[in-house]
Amino acid sequence: MSEIEKFRLDERKCIYCGGCVSVCPVLAITLEETRIICDQKKCTRCRACEKVCPLKAITII
Amino acid sequence: MRLMERYDAVVVGAGPAGSTFAKIAAEGGMEVLLLDKKKEIGSPVRCGEGIGDAWVSRVWPQGIPSACIGARISGAIVFAPNGKSLCIRASHTTGFVLERKIFDKYLAVEAAKAGAHVLARTMATSLIKEDGRFTGMRLKHMEEEFEVKTDLIVSAEGMEARIAREAGFQSLATLYDVDTCVEYEMADLPCEDLIELYFGSIAPRGYAWVFPKGNQLANVGIGVGGLTGANPKKLLDSFIEKNERFRKAEVIEVKGGVISVGEPVKEKVKDNLMVIGTAAHLVDPTHGGGIGLAMESGIIAGRVAVKAFQKKDFSKKHLMHYEMAWDAREGNKLEKRLLLRKVLEKLNDDDYSNIIGEISADDLQKVLDGNYKSVVAKVLLKHPSLLKVLSALL
Ligand SMILES: Cc1cc2nc3c(=O)[nH]c(=O)nc-3n(C[C@H](O)[C@H](O)[C@H](O)COP(=O)(O)OP(=O)(O)OC[C@H]3O[C@@H](n4cnc5c(N)ncnc54)[C@H](O)[C@@H]3O)c2cc1C
Repeated sequence: MSEIEKFRLDERKCIYCGGCVSVCPVLAITLEETRIICDQKKCTRCRACEKVCPLKAITII
Repeated sequence: MRLMERYDAVVVGAGPAGSTFAKIAAEGGMEVLLLDKKKEIGSPVRCGEGIGDAWVSRVWPQGIPSACIGARISGAIVFAPNGKSLCIRASHTTGFVLERKIFDKYLAVEAAKAGAHVLARTMATSLIKEDGRFTGMRLKHMEEEFEVKTDLIVSAEGMEARIAREAGFQSLATLYDVDTCVEYEMADLPCEDLIELYFGSIAPRGYAWVFPKGNQLANVGIGVGGLTGANPKKLLDSFIEKNERFRKAEVIEVKGGVISVGEPVKEKVKDNLMVIGTAAHLVDPTHGGGIGLAMESGIIAGRVAVKAFQKKDFSKKHLMHYEMAWDAREGNKLEKRLLLRKVLEKLNDDDYSNIIGEISADDLQKVLDGNYKSVVAKVLLKHPSLLKVLSALL
């Protein structure tokens, strides 16, 4: 079964600062160098990452 | 990659906290592994790079190489929303704007020279628990995966703090207690040797800054409260557009990040575990500065770790000396600063203009030193309506 996409990242805007990682209460997000990876299964759509992203690169759907 | 099966300590994160800790621990005879997931320690930078002189001389009494220093600073100028300003200036160096790409690397090199094993591009992915005790960690270095055993795991991970949180530390940052920031490093921007701070609605719950780095370079940034919903990039662009002096300035680098401006994490140790630096939210809540506090926590925790190593006792009870020494040294100060932040966040533009218009450079220095009372009294004499907001500082 394909995963439901909840966390969407606009890579054109992301500067991979990791801010989203630090506010994710369920540790769904990791930063590896220039890649933000979200475990869509863990995401609870709390929107903390969307709010805190300084470049507004994240949309929770 | 050549790694040992076990270390006396594994330090996750080679920022100012982790590298300082690793140096002290290695000097104390411990077999230390210092790792960072970045391919190049120190880069990318997520920082305004400003630090007070007192921190540098306390932590590095012999000084730091000039290559780590962008500019020497002799004071600060604070701008109110109505354009009024207040300047504190000394005849000597009061601070530095660092070149953190070089500084962080220098700290890691110092740790290596003290005997620590350092490995970049290595991520700690999870903890290993055996019989209810944390005994090691899983690591990923490029395509290779490893397990290492250790007596002591040190989280110096900065804001992300994934390993710290996996271990059960309260290092999750809440939106109310963070600032979210965007910063440009700008060239062709002449500045004096002062850091500039701009308060008011141009940066809700935060401030805008210009930190000169020498050679007409400067970090120009804005941080806003995480709950305000304000867009720091838009605010920064308009701050730059509206200010004539940036007309010729060019953007050399885009930086950003999220920083804790809340309370330090209370519990900083468990059996076989310590959390230091910004991972423990050891950051000044009024301005988000954490480089000096990170290094200081690295030193204090490092010394305690060496004692634990000598006694072969890495229990919480023993590691607790770090937490106690920290609280005795910085606990009160940071609490006072948090109180100040919580007052500042209630001020509107008029309040800021009134206060900055009323106080002197000496008063500002008093506030920075934590002596609020006489300054608040002076402001209230002229602006009694501020009593409700300022009374918390009396
Ligand atoms: C925009 C902005 C401006 C700032 N301006 C200033 C300023 O002017 N002055 C000041 O004093 N402070 C400032 N700060 C705060 C300052 O940057 C931090 O407090 C400081 O860097 C903390 O040092 P640290 O060693 O604790 O963590 P960091 O410097 O964040 O280092 C943590 C390291 O851990 C690594 N890491 C994290 N997780 C893992 C993992 N699982 N595995 C391996 N490695 C890992 C990271 O890659 C990183 O290199 C600012 C912060 C921001 C966001």
